[in-house]
Amino acid sequence: MKLLRTGKTGFVFQLGRRERQLLLETLDLYPLVPVSHHRLTRKDDNVQPDENQRLLEESLAEQRRGNREQVQAMLDKPHRFRQVKDGFEFVLAHTELEWLLQVLNDVRVGSWLALGEPEQGAEPAVTKKNARYLIAMEVSGMFQSFLLAALGMSESPEWAG
Amino acid sequence: MAETEVLPDIEQDEKTGEKSSLEPGWLVICWNDPVNLMTYVTHVFQTVFGWNKQKAETHMLEVHRNGKSVLARTTMEKAEHYVHQLQKYTLHATMESES
Repeated sequence: MKLLRTGKTGFVFQLGRRERQLLLETLDLYPLVPVSHHRLTRKDDNVQPDENQRLLEESLAEQRRGNREQVQAMLDKPHRFRQVKDGFEFVLAHTELEWLLQVLNDVRVGSWLALGEPEQGAEPAVTKKNARYLIAMEVSGMFQSFLLAALGMSESPEWAG
Repeated sequence: MAETEVLPDIEQDEKTGEKSSLEPGWLVICWNDPVNLMTYVTHVFQTVFGWNKQKAETHMLEVHRNGKSVLARTTMEKAEHYVHQLQKYTLHATMESES
């Protein structure tokens, strides 16, 4: 996947055939993170504002429904991907890129949860049942990196350590 | 880009001694986890708080190196709003009272 051009209306990426298939399969997993995973306060806090927690979960559920509809619209409208000689051109408006980042991160974090929340650099205990989540975590991270690079976001060597 | 909104201090209710929901004194905290990309976290901070890249990176690195970063000190309502926004992006964010 690479950025072909960007302008006022959005971004145009080039995707290989296999990359497009991977993207669609990854998006089809959304949503993966349980709404109850998010807490307003730390679990060890004594005071848990139940009403506010309920509102948070409702808000997140509503947002996910909207995202899911957009994902479905993307999956249902293959013309978003214009076939070219070496694959596809993939067109995204600025707002679409923003929600796609959210959707991909949900898949990435949800996959990480499904793998038992392994620490950085640690090998997750992969089984036949959860192996697809390891792939989904890596693939969603890869697509996120491409989208973030299109926004001018790249890791700095100074971040190491 | 705009800096974080600074809200005026509001005096504590002298009669009850309790904090109102409008009183600044709630912290918005982002916690480290090993799964979110550093560039993604930086982007989310810029988007949610309107920070410039340098400020967003400073807080991202604080999360990464120290395990957490206090992103805002504000009213309860504003803190709830920010936590909702951060969690929409699947970041591990919470709020807590300063007291």
